[in-house]
Amino acid sequence: MALLQIDNISKVFGKTKALDDISMSIQEGEVHALVGENGAGKSTLIKILTGVYSPSEGQLHWQGKPVYVSSPKDAQDIGINVIHQDRQLISSFTGLENLYLNKPYPKKGLRINWQAMKKEGAELAARWGMNIPLQKTVSDMTPSERTMLEIARCMMSESKLLILDEPTASLTDKESELLFQFIERVRNEGVAVIYISHRLEEVISLCNRVTVLMGGKLIKTLAKEEVTEERLVYYMTDGQTSVKKGKQTKRTNGKALVKVQDLKTADGTVRKANLELYEGEILGVYGLAGAGRTETMEAIYGLRKVESGTITLHQQQVPKPSPSEAISKGVVLIPENRHEDALIMNNSILENMSLPILKRMTRGGILQKKEEKSLIKKEMERFQVKASGIHQTVGELSGGNQQKVVFAKALLTNPSIYICDEPTQAVDIMTRQEIHQFLRGQVGENKGVIYVSSDLHEILEISDRIIVMSEGETVANLQNDHLKPDDILEICYRFQKGVVTQ
Amino acid sequence: MMIQTEKGPKKRWNINMLSSYGTIIAGILIVLIFSLLSPSSFATVDNFMNITRQISLLVVIAIGATLVMSVNEFDLSIGAMASLGGVVSAKLATEGVPIILCVLIPLLVGLFVGAVNGYIITRFNVLSFVTTLAMGTVIGGFTFWFTEGATIFENIPEGFKWLGQTVVAGIPMLSIMMVIIVLVFWFFMSQMGIGRRFYAIGGNERASRVSGVPIQRYKTLAFALCGMLAAFTGALLASRLGSAHPTGGDGYFLNAYAAVFLGMTVVRTGVPNIFGTLFGAAVLGILANGLTILQIPTFLQNVITGLIIIAALIIQKLGREKG
Repeated sequence: MALLQIDNISKVFGKTKALDDISMSIQEGEVHALVGENGAGKSTLIKILTGVYSPSEGQLHWQGKPVYVSSPKDAQDIGINVIHQDRQLISSFTGLENLYLNKPYPKKGLRINWQAMKKEGAELAARWGMNIPLQKTVSDMTPSERTMLEIARCMMSESKLLILDEPTASLTDKESELLFQFIERVRNEGVAVIYISHRLEEVISLCNRVTVLMGGKLIKTLAKEEVTEERLVYYMTDGQTSVKKGKQTKRTNGKALVKVQDLKTADGTVRKANLELYEGEILGVYGLAGAGRTETMEAIYGLRKVESGTITLHQQQVPKPSPSEAISKGVVLIPENRHEDALIMNNSILENMSLPILKRMTRGGILQKKEEKSLIKKEMERFQVKASGIHQTVGELSGGNQQKVVFAKALLTNPSIYICDEPTQAVDIMTRQEIHQFLRGQVGENKGVIYVSSDLHEILEISDRIIVMSEGETVANLQNDHLKPDDILEICYRFQKGVVTQ
Repeated sequence: MMIQTEKGPKKRWNINMLSSYGTIIAGILIVLIFSLLSPSSFATVDNFMNITRQISLLVVIAIGATLVMSVNEFDLSIGAMASLGGVVSAKLATEGVPIILCVLIPLLVGLFVGAVNGYIITRFNVLSFVTTLAMGTVIGGFTFWFTEGATIFENIPEGFKWLGQTVVAGIPMLSIMMVIIVLVFWFFMSQMGIGRRFYAIGGNERASRVSGVPIQRYKTLAFALCGMLAAFTGALLASRLGSAHPTGGDGYFLNAYAAVFLGMTVVRTGVPNIFGTLFGAAVLGILANGLTILQIPTFLQNVITGLIIIAALIIQKLGREKG
C-alpha cells in the first residue's frame, strides 16, 4: 500500500490548467524526485499536497484511505511537512525558540522550562544526526544551519512525508552533502521524501524514483535504474534541447578589466581578496559558504564599504566605489537575489529597465517618454520577455521572465564587465542554458564576465579560469584545464577554519 | 506562473474594481448625497470655490507628505513645520520685510530643516518615524520660544494678506496657488527622472541602489521638499488668517496623511501619488464642508470622516489580496 496515492488530480486557475490529470504514488521510505521546468506544475502540486490549494478534480489517498487536506494544518496533522525554498524562521529568535514555534513551550508552573526545551532539542538533533547550534540566534546562522533547523522543526512532530523544495539552492556542496546524509537517514526510518531540485546530479544520486512534469502534465516516472541526465533533460524539455557539455574555445588573455588587490571590507567579511579579470574571459569564483564571494563582488560594485586594498576598473583605480561609478565604468551586477536586489516588483517593466539609464532618458531632467518606450520595447522583444506590454508590473511575470528583464536591464547600460552572482539559481535548465550562451556571447574584445556560483559543476562548465575563496581570502587561481570538482573541493577544505596549513 | 498575454473577454464588476475605483465612487456618492440633501447651499458654484479654498492648504502640505511617502519614509514633523513657517512669515511681515521675502524665507527654513531630517535619516540609517517625531518636538519648542507662546496678529500689513484673501475673477488666490502646485509636482513626479527615482526607492531601496540611484541624495531631497511645502502651508495660513499661532499648523498633520492614504487607494499599484492626494484632500474637504452645512456636530463629523478612511483602506486591501 502506498503512503500517498495521488489520483487524477487537476487544478485550474481561471483559464489556465496548472495541473492536468496527475496520478502518482509515494511509497514509504522512498525519495521521490519531482523535476520539470519553471511552470511545469511542481509548486502547484506541492501546494495541493500541503493544503494550500484544493484540487479542482481528483482525489488523494493517505495510507489507503481517502483524505481531504484543506489547510496546511491538516497536512501537518497527518504527517506531511514541507521545507520551502525560502526559510520560514524568525531571525531574531534562537534556534531553540524557532523549534517550538508551532508547539507549546514546556512549562514549569507559569515559567518556561528552558532546561526541558534544551534537552528535547539536543535529543532531536542527536537522533537525526544534525549539528545545529540551537543556542544561536537564527540571524547568526549559516544558510545550511537554517535549513537543517527548519527540517528539525518538521521532525519535532511525527513526519511521514517530508517535501523538500530546492533545499540545496543556497547551500554549498559540502553542506548539501550533510543534507543528503540526513535524507538517507530518514529514508531508512521509513519516512518518504519528495525532493524538488533543478540540480539533476543530485536527483540522480539521491532518488529512488523521478517524476517529470511538463506544462502541468505528468510526462514520465522513471525508476532509479532508468535515470540518466540526458534522459531527464529529454523528458523535461520535450526533446527540444540536449545538455551541451564540454568546454568552449580557449581564449587568450588580453588587458585586465578588473584588478582587485588585497581587498578588505570594513565588516571583515572579505579579508584579502585578489582577483584579475582579463578581456575575453569568464572568471569563475567559487568558495564554500562564508567564503566572501558575494561580499567581494558587492565591494567591487560599491555596495559594501572597503577598508583597504585597491580596486582597478579598466586600468583606472577607483578610490571610492559606488554603484553609479561602477555603472559608468561599464560594470553591471546581476545580483543573487532577484526579488531583493535586482527588481522593483511593484514597478513596471519599463520603469525597472530604464532606472539605471535615466540620465540618458531625460533632457534637462524631463523624461523623453517616446524614446524610452521604443527603446525598452525593442529590448523586451530581443530578450523575448513574455508580458502583456512594457507597462506590466514585473511582479506579475514568471520567474524566468523576471530574470530576462534583469538581463535586458543590465544590457541597456552597455556593460563591458559583467559580475554575475548565482545568475542561474532556481531557474530551469532551458533558461540556464540561455544564460550561459548569452554570457559566452558577451565576452570578447574589452569585455569579460565574473561568474560566482555555489554549483561547482556549473563553475567548471562555464569558466575559463577559476579563483577559489575561503574565509574572505583568495586561496587559489586556476586555469580551467582538465580540472575536476575534487581538485577544487580539496583546496576549499584545506583552507577551511582550523586546518589552514603553512 | 500565469502570464497575462491578453485582456479578459469582458470586465465584470468585482472586488478588484472596487479597490481601484472604490474611493472615487465613494467620493462621487458623497457629492451626490450632499447635493440631494442640501441643493441650495451645497451644490453651488460659490460653495465649490469655497471648498477648493478650504482644501488648498491641506493639499499643499499633503503633497509634501506624498513625496516623502513615495520614498517609503514618513515625516511626522510637518505639522510643527507648518506652525513654524506661519510664525516666521508673520513675524517678518510685522517687521516690515517685503512681502515676497515673508514667503520666501519660511520656504528656505522649511527646505533647510527638511534637509536636516533627510540627512540624519540617510546618513545614520535611523528610522524616519522616530527622527521626525523628535524633530517635530524640537521645532515646536523653537516656535514657542520664538513667539513666546503668543499669537502674532498686530501690525501685520494688509499686503501680507494678498495671497490668502484675494479673489481673482471669482476664484480664490489660494485655489489658484493649489492648482499650480499640484501641476508642478505632478510634472515633477510623473514626467521627470527624479519622480521615477523616488518611486524606485520607495518600491525597493536595495534594488535602486544596485541600479545606481544615489539613495541618500534623493531621500534628502524628498524630505527637504516636504519641509518646504509644510512651511509654505504655514505661510499661506498666516496670510489667510492675517495672524499666526505657534501651534496653528499642527492640525494639518493627521489630515495630510489621511489625504495621502486615501489617494493611494485610487491607483492600482497603491503608491502615493499627486492626483490621488488631491482627490483624498477633496474627499476630506467635501465631507467637512457638507457635514457642516447639514449642521452635523463636529464630534460626529470626526467619527464619520475617520470611518470613511478606514473603510477605504480595508476595501483596497481586500481587493489586493484577491488580485
